[in-house]
Amino acid sequence: MPEPVLSYKDIRVSFATEFGDVDAVKGVSFDVMPGEVVAVVGESGSGKSVTSSTAMGLLPENATVNGEVLLEGKSVLTMSTAELRRLRGSDISMVFQEPMTALNPVLRVSDQLVEALQVHDVAFGGEALEKSIALLERVGIPDARTKIKQYPHQFSGGQRQRIVIAMAIACGPKVIIADEPTTALDVTVQAEILDLLRELKDELNTGILLITHNMGVVADMADRVVVMLNGEVVETGPVATILGHPEHPYTRRLLAAMPLLREAGDPSLESERVVVTERGGVGDSSSSRTATGVPDGRSNGRAANGVAGTDSDAPPALEAKDVALEYKFRRKATRVVHDLNFTVQPGEIMGLVGESGSGKSTVAKAVLGLLDVAEGELRVRGSNMPALPAKEKKALKREIGVVFQDPAASLDPRFPIGDIITEPMVVHKEGDKNSRMARARELLDAVRLPSSVLNRYPHELSGGQRQRISIARALTLNPTLLIADEPTSALDVSVQAAVLDLFSELQQQYGFACLFVSHDLAVVDALAHKVLVMQKGRTVEQGTTDQVLRHAKESYTQQLLAAAPVPNPEVQARRRTERQRLLAALA
Amino acid sequence: MSQSIPPIPPEDVRSATEAEDAKLASAQRSYSQGQLVRRRFFAHKPAVVSMAALIFIILLSITSIGFSGQGTGWWSKSFLATGLTVDGGVPTMFRDGFLGEHPFGQDSIGRDYFAMVMRGTQQSLLVALGVALSSTVLGVLVGALAGYFRGWIEAVLMRITDVVIVVPLLALAAVFGAYAQGLPGGTLTLALFIGLATWTGTARLVRAEILSLREKEYVSAAIAMGAHPARIILKHMLPNSIGVIVVNATFAIAAAILLETTLSYLGFGVQAPETSLGALIQNNQNAFTTRPWLFWFPGLFIIAIALSVNFIGDGLRDAIDPRQKRTGSARPGWRTAFGLLGQATAEERSGKQVTELSGGPTQMQPPAGMTDHGPDLGYDPTDEKRDS
Amino acid sequence: MYSYVLKRLLSAVAVLFGASLLVFVLVINSGDPLQELRESNAENVEFLIQQRIAFMNLDEPWYSRYWIWLSGIAGCAVGACEFGTNMSGQDVGAMVANSASSTLRLVFLATILSIIIGILTGIITAIRQYSSLDYAVSFFVFLFFSLPVFWAAVLAKDWMGITYNNWLREPNFTWTQITVVAVVLAIMVPLIIGGSARRRLLTGAVMFGFVLVAMPLLDSLNYAREPRLGPAVITLLGVGLAFGLTALLSGLRNRRVLYSALTVVGLGLVSYYATFWLLIDPPGGWLTIAGLFVVTIAVAVLVGRAMGGHAKGQAVAVSVITAALFAVMVLLDHFMRAWPGFLGIKPRPIATIGSSSPNFSGDFWQVALDQGTQLVLPTTILMLVSVATYTRYTRSSMLEAVNQDYIRTARAKGVNERTVVFKHAFRNSMIPLTTIVAFDFAGLIGGAVVVEQVFGWSGMGDMFVTGLSSSDPAPVMAFTLITGAAAVLFNLIADLMYAVLDPRIRV
Repeated sequence: MPEPVLSYKDIRVSFATEFGDVDAVKGVSFDVMPGEVVAVVGESGSGKSVTSSTAMGLLPENATVNGEVLLEGKSVLTMSTAELRRLRGSDISMVFQEPMTALNPVLRVSDQLVEALQVHDVAFGGEALEKSIALLERVGIPDARTKIKQYPHQFSGGQRQRIVIAMAIACGPKVIIADEPTTALDVTVQAEILDLLRELKDELNTGILLITHNMGVVADMADRVVVMLNGEVVETGPVATILGHPEHPYTRRLLAAMPLLREAGDPSLESERVVVTERGGVGDSSSSRTATGVPDGRSNGRAANGVAGTDSDAPPALEAKDVALEYKFRRKATRVVHDLNFTVQPGEIMGLVGESGSGKSTVAKAVLGLLDVAEGELRVRGSNMPALPAKEKKALKREIGVVFQDPAASLDPRFPIGDIITEPMVVHKEGDKNSRMARARELLDAVRLPSSVLNRYPHELSGGQRQRISIARALTLNPTLLIADEPTSALDVSVQAAVLDLFSELQQQYGFACLFVSHDLAVVDALAHKVLVMQKGRTVEQGTTDQVLRHAKESYTQQLLAAAPVPNPEVQARRRTERQRLLAALA
Repeated sequence: MSQSIPPIPPEDVRSATEAEDAKLASAQRSYSQGQLVRRRFFAHKPAVVSMAALIFIILLSITSIGFSGQGTGWWSKSFLATGLTVDGGVPTMFRDGFLGEHPFGQDSIGRDYFAMVMRGTQQSLLVALGVALSSTVLGVLVGALAGYFRGWIEAVLMRITDVVIVVPLLALAAVFGAYAQGLPGGTLTLALFIGLATWTGTARLVRAEILSLREKEYVSAAIAMGAHPARIILKHMLPNSIGVIVVNATFAIAAAILLETTLSYLGFGVQAPETSLGALIQNNQNAFTTRPWLFWFPGLFIIAIALSVNFIGDGLRDAIDPRQKRTGSARPGWRTAFGLLGQATAEERSGKQVTELSGGPTQMQPPAGMTDHGPDLGYDPTDEKRDS
Repeated sequence: MYSYVLKRLLSAVAVLFGASLLVFVLVINSGDPLQELRESNAENVEFLIQQRIAFMNLDEPWYSRYWIWLSGIAGCAVGACEFGTNMSGQDVGAMVANSASSTLRLVFLATILSIIIGILTGIITAIRQYSSLDYAVSFFVFLFFSLPVFWAAVLAKDWMGITYNNWLREPNFTWTQITVVAVVLAIMVPLIIGGSARRRLLTGAVMFGFVLVAMPLLDSLNYAREPRLGPAVITLLGVGLAFGLTALLSGLRNRRVLYSALTVVGLGLVSYYATFWLLIDPPGGWLTIAGLFVVTIAVAVLVGRAMGGHAKGQAVAVSVITAALFAVMVLLDHFMRAWPGFLGIKPRPIATIGSSSPNFSGDFWQVALDQGTQLVLPTTILMLVSVATYTRYTRSSMLEAVNQDYIRTARAKGVNERTVVFKHAFRNSMIPLTTIVAFDFAGLIGGAVVVEQVFGWSGMGDMFVTGLSSSDPAPVMAFTLITGAAAVLFNLIADLMYAVLDPRIRV
């Protein structure tokens, strides 16, 4: 039995805040063995990042730490700052979540890498520079010799994360703490970074402490899993056990809440119609979504079912014809969306999928009138909205509701909830005070919040609750079209599951059509009737959810699908090999 | 949605959310923003002491000689009436009872200096408030319009701002002051005109604030639902920048006190026979060696007022500015301050600690937020060339 | 780059045009320039009025008066500026030539000194955040922000000027003075240096003892009247500098940096003797000195590059700073040599009136000392607000930078605190400060108007005040134009500095 390289023993951390002490971590113990990947999983506020940071001595000043952290048997917490400093970077190093800000913007990459080597007397001068170039090549930066002289802003997010990793492995550490290393990255980049970490771990026999909220990442990387909740460990064990046969209800709940990207032949595709019927209570067998496999959206699912109450002659809720969008800056226009064509029928949900920079949110902005359309037509219920005179345009805006991504920013902090929900009525001069409040109560009921929140302010609500308020506001005027721009990507998984459930129910109840923008294929799979995949402003593929997500024709879609990790270690291992085969075939 | 193995009843999935909802239903109302601001402000000791001092000075100046300045308060002497200089005009305070006949002494023609200083304080405060008010109103108007509408409206407004900024503030204020001397209305007219020179800082600050609020999703939501720009600016943007505006206005009062006294000292401010603290110093600066009190009293009043207002502004910013989060027991005690208790080294600080963004009060032109870049005369390199 | 500068200058011209129009209209409407003559009882009053009307073109409508002024200024484009004439017919251009140099000398000196002092204080208070030093500095910052400049100036004239001059007649420290200085330093120095409680006590004790010995020693040498450094002291201080700067900027373990700094000190000593007689009465005055300074810096760069090895950048930085400070000490030595002779000519050195002593004659060093002593008080007063501004902004900017993610990355690498502050945080925190420089410069020009008034300088500020109070546009316009142009220039420099400091911006 080898000695653990890093071990936490009964760690307790509390923070002194304006409103008294807050216990963030309440007695946490676990070990990391050499060459082992231990994943610490939990939702926000579980204390997973705080726990792991204690090993680096990098906690804020107002934190009090008790317990013991042993790095190769040496107690870290009792060390002097100078001793601790010698360990940092050489024996234990760290990879952070946000690659965009983790590198010093005013220093060349070479300076920052060479510094990491020189600080620990590993190499100096020209030798250090050579070693740095080798490190960059090792982490997969092409043309490292010239690129090393560049500044961080000249690299992409994924490349910056590679540079941070190069810095972390520079002195051959015994253990690397990776704090949500891929959360800020696109799914394809995430897969590459995880591959890199895995290779490096095997090469250097380094222990990795991986902090993440993503069960897919856990399945992809971890040997052992520590599940944390409210500063305590609820369950720990080998990855197969935890993900396959979880004991603790919380772990089971977490896994259940994780949206799944189903593969063709997945039994749930068949069983789904039952689930929907049970839960929604409105559908019949024909209300199941993609399982029917009908290619034409109009006769698909709920639309045909009459829930939306439309006949097939009604104009599409939203239609884009050869749309091009551009951002103007100082009279220079940059085109970000080209030749976009799609149709969303009444009562239909269309998922708009893509990675960052694909232009998917720009499309949502244009539909909302936040951005002018450069070319083409954007028809809402048959009329080209951008070309309408102001008055008619405003009237048409009644038909569009919106839910944004950030629960912290999408509600005006100075408005009470009641005013937020009724604002669309005020703007369109509808109803009087009493009828507005009645409508607000009705909607709060629909999103299952007590009507007592009418007089509360947004900061008193949790993120998930605020997103539900956003949905309520979007529905105030009974719109025929809802634009949802990444409505759940800022939420924890379990909250996301609840919000998506609610969303799906409301869609059946109110029958609105929806343009659902998301980077998460699994979420789209769970919700949408059809899917449009975008890359760099162009349409890659569109069709029914089943067609696109399970029988993708385009290689980009296939890559996207292959890169999304699933929370099952065996399946994920198989998918990984498949993905590598796919990439090899493409190269 | 939860179509996955292992099958768990949906109620259980939602329970995390339900727990939150239950908490919401049962929870006491938490602190409102106003309460938080008040709580933090009253925890800022220098600000509270300054507040008390400022209230004392205001009450003293108003109750003592009244608004007319003709003995309508508890101090019967007029600031205009000359008289016999007693004992070389030495202050009688604490020498001859508590106040004596002339607590602050007399000037060379025997006027009661206490009454004059009180009158000067009134006038200086009046001008400062007027300047702060007019410059804030104008600055908010220009800043909000420029920030919201962009395009040619912004271009025109920002060019006007540049024109005003390029003349040194004191010089422009002096020119406006000299111009206002020929107009009726006395002190208030003067204040409004000086305000015409000092609004640019507020305008740039508000514009920066509005620009950042434009990116907020609740503003996007309001635009998307078809709300009128006036509604968006008045209902969403200005209420959400009120903290910045109030803090800035407070510092503007302090700056205006100094500006007014300086202008009066140069002769472009309050005109005789009316008086102000600056004019008093100007009239008596040569008496420094012979009758120092004529110099000291108005000076100390200026400092007391400006210092209090600055500290109040500091306290307000600490309380309001969301960028400035003081975590932990607000400030360390004196023992820690003197290094007698183990003080954490800077090394142990990291992460989400104290973030004090803006500096202190600024002399005359508060830079418009540290990220906003210079009085750009036509071009801003931060916008175009930033590659990310 | 050039097109950017050109674009900026063009829009600056437009802005200055707007500003001049605004000021012109306000000034000519602020009063009646003939008022004083109309009330005059002089016999030739009619003639004087006619003459003034002619000087000021009062018979023309306002727009053609502005046009006349503008066409004069347009001559600047071809190198022939016409600033017009003031109400008594004097050529404003000539007035500007006389007054601009003293005002700009004052403002530039104040700007540079306050940047240096303010940034240093700001960094120290940021590192020692929430220490009593931080609180004390914060209080003074607020005090300086609340201090009326003219009031402080009157006070300084009396306390600093007159008291110091009186003391200099028989310069002796009393034991009370020595003890007070010793106690203050024994408290302040440990607070700045920091460290554990024990180390602080030790530093304090050493400081206290040092002052108790040093001050009586200086006294017995009659240092206030006959100060000197001499090659020995300069070398000693130079070696100290070399060690200190190396420790601060790269760490003493970095021998190459240390050796190159020490080499610079050695070369400095050689050049001290080599230039000694040349500098006793330098031909060409400041030009020679500036030339020698440039050579010094060039040599330092060469030494740093040659000896730096892998740490070239740091070696050059340390060598250059060492060389520059060494040169300053040599300069100081020469000034000190001239001091006793200067006191013979001007027994009360710290002046409270004027920008130079009337009818003063002496050698190069004595004239420089005269101008310097005339500058001491105005500069100090003018600097108060600026130092406070820079201190405050540097402090918050440093604290802001120290909380960034890349600082955490640097710490996670195991970088020590000195490197974190000076390599990672400092440069980033300087980026927003460049903006302040331009703002502060405009503020200083405003301050100069007041300071000139108090100290009786006949500079630009005086020109402005006199012109404005008699509604005489030409001098006011000249002031507006020159200060505006200077502000625009500073703005441009600040923006270019911004681009230099921040690689994300390319102009």
